[in-house]
Amino acid sequence: MQGSKTEASLLRSVAIVGVGITELKSSTPQVSYKELIFEAAQKAYEDAGLNPRKDIESFVCSSEDFLEGTSIFDEYVPDQLGAVLKPVCTISADGMYSLAAAYMQILTGLFDVVAVEAHSKASDIVNLSTVYDMALDPVYTRPLGLNASFVAGLEMSKFLHSRGAGTNHCRMVVAKNRKNALSNSLAMYGGIVEAKGESQNPVLSYPLTEYDVAPVADGAAVVVLASEDAAEHLRDDPVWVKGLGWASDSPTLETRDWLDATYVRLASKQAYQSAKLRNPAKDIQIAEIDDTYSYKELQHLEALGLIGDAKAHTLLEQGAFERDGVLPVNPSGGSIGMGHTLEMSGLVRVVELVLQLRGEADRHQIKGVETGIAQCWRGIPTTSGAVVILSNR
Amino acid sequence: MTTEPIRVEGDFPVYFRYTVGVAGEKFFREIMENGRLMASRCSSCNLNYLPPRIYCERCMSRLEEYVPVENEGTVEAFTITHQDAEGNPLQEPVGVALVRFPGAYGGLVHRTIDVLAIGDRVRAVFKDKKERTGSILDIKFFEKIS
Repeated sequence: MQGSKTEASLLRSVAIVGVGITELKSSTPQVSYKELIFEAAQKAYEDAGLNPRKDIESFVCSSEDFLEGTSIFDEYVPDQLGAVLKPVCTISADGMYSLAAAYMQILTGLFDVVAVEAHSKASDIVNLSTVYDMALDPVYTRPLGLNASFVAGLEMSKFLHSRGAGTNHCRMVVAKNRKNALSNSLAMYGGIVEAKGESQNPVLSYPLTEYDVAPVADGAAVVVLASEDAAEHLRDDPVWVKGLGWASDSPTLETRDWLDATYVRLASKQAYQSAKLRNPAKDIQIAEIDDTYSYKELQHLEALGLIGDAKAHTLLEQGAFERDGVLPVNPSGGSIGMGHTLEMSGLVRVVELVLQLRGEADRHQIKGVETGIAQCWRGIPTTSGAVVILSNR
Repeated sequence: MTTEPIRVEGDFPVYFRYTVGVAGEKFFREIMENGRLMASRCSSCNLNYLPPRIYCERCMSRLEEYVPVENEGTVEAFTITHQDAEGNPLQEPVGVALVRFPGAYGGLVHRTIDVLAIGDRVRAVFKDKKERTGSILDIKFFEKIS
């Protein structure tokens, strides 16, 4: 089996040729989710210089019915996206998984131009906690009647205990990301917050407080991918998809890895191999990664293998992940600073990375970056995540 | 005329009866009848799955052998949760532990009556036999072994 595997890069190169994203907002009562998607789509198609009705051959969307409040939600996406009478499908996973599917559709040679869509209308969900409750195992876990945040509380306590880290390190992550978000015009939750001192924030599941959780936001994002030939015809600064990976750990609470983000370790290994990166720690200059919970940024960083055997919280103390640090992490503000956009979260990381690699990340631009990594996690109670490596070379 | 944006109320009322399956029947009936934890054994991988399942996630063998697991274990992770499932504040926060048991792969997640630390020894406390219904709630909680 191994021997017959063809290197993805031998098949075709694939680039991102257009991105469109709305501002992320805590609430968008004036517009529907379809109108949010329409705005993002228009921006992306204009950015790519494409007529969606003529030039885009296929569409891949991300959604989860319980987050939409509509079952069989995939039927509700074609019209606002320009996908009527065209191939379109929905993946019930983070938008980064849809990006992977679109990438593979182009690799096959079946299509040259494919659009990816993800969105969040979190403000329409009256009781989001219940959606996460309904994601718990209905036989072994849900009957306990616990708030699903207990899964993050358990993991955070285990992680901090094993690493010798404290809740102060988690507060430093929050302070960094919210400060970074102040320079990002798309971000909802920018601010200067005190990193030191005991947290006065309401406890969700000790040691996890409300402060550690990325607050939800509304928005939509569309990304247009194209084959090498199409990309070079469309623009002179395409951003190349160098590598991709995705993986799931053992899913049950009882048998999963509670210490390491194994899903990220496996997904990033796959991505580094397909990108042929011999020394990812040296080649990757910027990271946009999942920070749904403060401690997750540290755990995901370690699993990405970009800091050797070092502990993330030690490097965090030294300022390594600041915008002027050795590895800027979430210069956009991440989900903590921009807002957590449910299944759109990974695609926001991708859009931010594309803007950085094009030198268009306005006031939070990191100078001279050529190759970067974006990573997503599907949130509690999952052990699933994806990684994508992008480069402007 | 109000200028408030118009929003249409809706909900998603769907009800289920979740089948526990072959391994679930074994697990819950053993608790109901004998107050005992049961794991399923993969002899190829030398793993005893708790809760039991009829397949090994490592080698995909079908598992047909069951082995008892003692009801005393060690706290792997602990949290105190301050909200109920719907996100409302709880008057009394609830302790939750992931507990590993000797010889078992996996473990159990349940409520605790004590404030615990990683590494503490605990025991699963069952409801009285006549009150057991074939549910994870037939285990009342974990209590610390002092």
